[in-house]
Amino acid sequence: MASNRHIKNPNLRPRLRAAGLALPLMAFVGFTFVAPLATMLVRSVYDPVVSDALPRTLGLLNDWDGSSTPAEAVYESAARELVQAREDRTLGQIASRVNRVRSGLRSVLTKSARRLRQVDSGPWRDAMTGIDAAWADARTWHAIRSAGERYTARHYLNALDLQRLPNGAVGRQPEERRIYLPLLWRTLWVSLTITALCLLLGYPIARLIAHAPPRIGNLLLILVLVPFWTSLLVRTTSWIVLLQTQGVLNDLLVTLGLIGDDGRLAMIYNMIGTLVAMTHVLLPFMVLPLYSVMRGIPPIQMSAAASLGASSFQAFWRVYWPQSLPGVSAGSLLVFILAIGYYITPALVGGSSGQLISNMIAFHMQTSLNWGLAAALGGILLACVGALYLLYDRLVGIERMRLG
Amino acid sequence: MATAGTRERVGRFIYVGFCTAVFLFLIAPILVIVPLSFNAEPYFTFTEGMLRLDADAYSLRWYRQIVENEVWTRALVNSLVIGIASTVLATGLGTLAAMGLSSPAMPGRRWAMGLLISPMVTPVIIAAAGMFFFYSNLGLAQTHIGLILAHAALGTPFVVITVTATLSAFDTNLTRAAASLGAGPVRVFRRVQLPLIAPGVISGALFAFATSFDEVVVVLFMAAIEQRTIPRQMWAGIREQISPTILAVATFLIVFAVLLLFAVEWMRRRSAAR
Amino acid sequence: MQGNDNAYVEFEGVSKSFDGRTLVVENLDLSVKKGEFLTMLGPSGSGKTTCLMMLAGFETPTSGAIRIDGRSVHELPPRKRGIGMVFQNYALFPHMTVGRNLAFPLEVRGLDEAQCRERVARALRLVRLDGLEDRRPGQLSGGQQQRVAIARALVFEPELVLMDEPLGALDRRLREEMQYEIRRIHKSLGVTMVYVTHDQEEAMVMSDRIAVLRSGDVEQVAEPEVLYEEPERSFVARFIGENNRLHGRVRSVDGDICEVETGGQIVRALRVAPCRPGDATTLSIRPERVAVSPEAGLYTNELDAIIEDITFLGDHLRVRVNVCGRSDFIAKIPNIVGHGAMLVGDNVRIGWTPTDCRVLDPENEEEST
Repeated sequence: MASNRHIKNPNLRPRLRAAGLALPLMAFVGFTFVAPLATMLVRSVYDPVVSDALPRTLGLLNDWDGSSTPAEAVYESAARELVQAREDRTLGQIASRVNRVRSGLRSVLTKSARRLRQVDSGPWRDAMTGIDAAWADARTWHAIRSAGERYTARHYLNALDLQRLPNGAVGRQPEERRIYLPLLWRTLWVSLTITALCLLLGYPIARLIAHAPPRIGNLLLILVLVPFWTSLLVRTTSWIVLLQTQGVLNDLLVTLGLIGDDGRLAMIYNMIGTLVAMTHVLLPFMVLPLYSVMRGIPPIQMSAAASLGASSFQAFWRVYWPQSLPGVSAGSLLVFILAIGYYITPALVGGSSGQLISNMIAFHMQTSLNWGLAAALGGILLACVGALYLLYDRLVGIERMRLG
Repeated sequence: MATAGTRERVGRFIYVGFCTAVFLFLIAPILVIVPLSFNAEPYFTFTEGMLRLDADAYSLRWYRQIVENEVWTRALVNSLVIGIASTVLATGLGTLAAMGLSSPAMPGRRWAMGLLISPMVTPVIIAAAGMFFFYSNLGLAQTHIGLILAHAALGTPFVVITVTATLSAFDTNLTRAAASLGAGPVRVFRRVQLPLIAPGVISGALFAFATSFDEVVVVLFMAAIEQRTIPRQMWAGIREQISPTILAVATFLIVFAVLLLFAVEWMRRRSAAR
Repeated sequence: MQGNDNAYVEFEGVSKSFDGRTLVVENLDLSVKKGEFLTMLGPSGSGKTTCLMMLAGFETPTSGAIRIDGRSVHELPPRKRGIGMVFQNYALFPHMTVGRNLAFPLEVRGLDEAQCRERVARALRLVRLDGLEDRRPGQLSGGQQQRVAIARALVFEPELVLMDEPLGALDRRLREEMQYEIRRIHKSLGVTMVYVTHDQEEAMVMSDRIAVLRSGDVEQVAEPEVLYEEPERSFVARFIGENNRLHGRVRSVDGDICEVETGGQIVRALRVAPCRPGDATTLSIRPERVAVSPEAGLYTNELDAIIEDITFLGDHLRVRVNVCGRSDFIAKIPNIVGHGAMLVGDNVRIGWTPTDCRVLDPENEEEST
């Protein structure tokens, strides 16, 4: 029997050996990289703070019909739990979560919890309504119920400019409160523009490098690789130095008399800055895959096309371009993937009009501290990148990715 | 008849002109920084004295500031410590994994490769946010260890890619020959395989080091003052108290990048020569 | 109209330099008759491919003129020359099917689809690849790719077809088969063909005439038999077929026959290159024209030799002898009854007639070995 098992799977040993070699890194990446991403994704749908602090109130609200104000018992438990939360120092977190669902409620909650300490007995409804009239508004209780969901789609709805209507259905945010979808479209649009610019600038030079004599080709390749290796912050700094109002380019234009000293161009801290700097940063990622594909196209084919009667344009369009398409798709997808997640360059040179979705994630992480929403935005961005990554694998093949 | 030739010459001229402009676009921003870092005045543009090549218009004052300012020296030490430690980690694990991945026997190879390359294409902001949550829970945020682990994770794809590429050109008969000559697996690896794939391993290590050395987003989320690296300090410099000191730092980083580039190209030549 | 009225393709004083210093082609004159199969034969670096590229329009002559059908093509870009060309390694478009490859020259000429399809099918029939329209070049064998390349160069019915070492990538058997095929196609279409190769056997099999090129200039242009039997230059004698060469000095000239001293012996030979007594010269004689142990008095030239080596080759024997101070002198003897028992080390007489031994230009000793 034992020998039979050996015969059954002769490939087992090499398989185990290969897997054993890859396993440490898989575990490492799993721990240091995948687990953090998973934590973040969990945070985008799981938020126990409110439901832990107000368990009884939320339980009672389940039986509430949602149209008029809730029963006295709900008021009583809410009052007691809010006072308790204030003592536990979780009131601030609860208030800001409820406030995100319906703004204006932060002060209502903190004020009420402070004043309710002095109240010992009911009627609680009158006491609370006396502290703030918002307690007589059903929408306040909707907000608390919504913020109290332990597992919630709230952040994703928010991130897609949707909201839960009082009747439980999902509807769009009012026009003036839609900010994330337009930002997502802007991000995709900017990334597409940058990809197109990179292709437009990168294709001719990749072709020049690929078919130049080796010495010149190597030299030109260095001109692409130096920016590739130079620190991102250095390159971004360079563009600030070049493009700012008192910068090198404006000075040059003023000196040449093309513009007046008072007519200096605003080329940075806006969308132009983002486009120029990001195109510069990502251009090598377009040129390198193009170059490696183009190097495999024998120049003699263009001669062959010419000998068969094709004009230079026909020869390019029908013979060269189709063969360079693998490079075009590899480079474009890579640039697009990197562009939609870009953070540093827009943050430094984008001003207010040149911000992308990543900058919004950073804002919610660091400034508004709405981590659930930041995580949901991250989840959406991750889904976009993941889809493109799969497309890249399908079209180009991940194992064919090369550097430099 | 002459028009056909003329038109082609004009087309060629436009093509080469366009390419020259693109190369200028690529390299000019980097070249502009270098002379400006020697500006004697605290401006970000060429003063008249600089354009006249007046020696007094140039100075080393911003370089002196870097050396004298302990913020920058500490940043350099942090960058080197985190960079080197994460590179060692990424290179060791990445090389082993690449050897496994290059074996045709590797089960689920495509998925494994997809997983191991993913840190390279995932937007850093998402990784940084996730790491902030995860590492905070473990008490690793605001520590050197946490940053080293995070940077190693971001650097591994480069090692995996370069070493797999080198291994794909590796003749498996060489290991078979070594084994037939009586060498055990460890000896085969150390005496035959490793020396031959060394250029790929070193290239990958340089890429991983450059990744860590240039990384700012994770540092932004996870580092306290004590862990600030050079890019983090530059970020602060650009956002807060903008001063030509960062041009001097930038020049230093450009020189460093060129050295790394030539090291990698030299490695590539070596492995291509085989 | 200038030059030879009979010529379809003419090179007149053509020179080409890539770097402005060294000439790859030097003052080359050559004409090709209409319908002729002319081969440019020469070692690598002899400038033959450069000549072909200039004719096709991919290189411009530094000086001189190239005419096709009496018209200078100097200002004509390649695509307007209407020349069919088969490239080294074929240059088939890998992203197009065989059918699309063949249709390409027709489409750029604006032919409609029906015409294209019909002509493509006809061209494929011509190279015996009927029905392979939908394959990709990568799915074909080397020989099939070769045929596709030829069909593509012919499909738009050019009057002039150029081939640049088209058979270099094929193995020996396929090469011989394709030589025959190309010859057949040439005969059936009657196009003018200029063919480049470094393989003298291939040139001999295929060509109407062969131009032997050496460092950018034509050494001799002639029919294959003439080139073999009557080489006019020592380079040609060396390059075409096997040859024995003896270096010596002319002693006397008597009409067409010279006396040449080589390795201490006197040999009578046919004067081909102009020479005077005292000139250095190279004698050339084919191994099959050398007789071993001939009847005494049969040949004017009879010399003493020592047999160094004998190789049995079935229908003939190769006998290497030491004569006139050289030990690499070969005689080929038919394997007929009574060739006698020869042994290595034997002293023998060898002989040949003066007209089989040609007095040519002196050859540099180093390059001849």
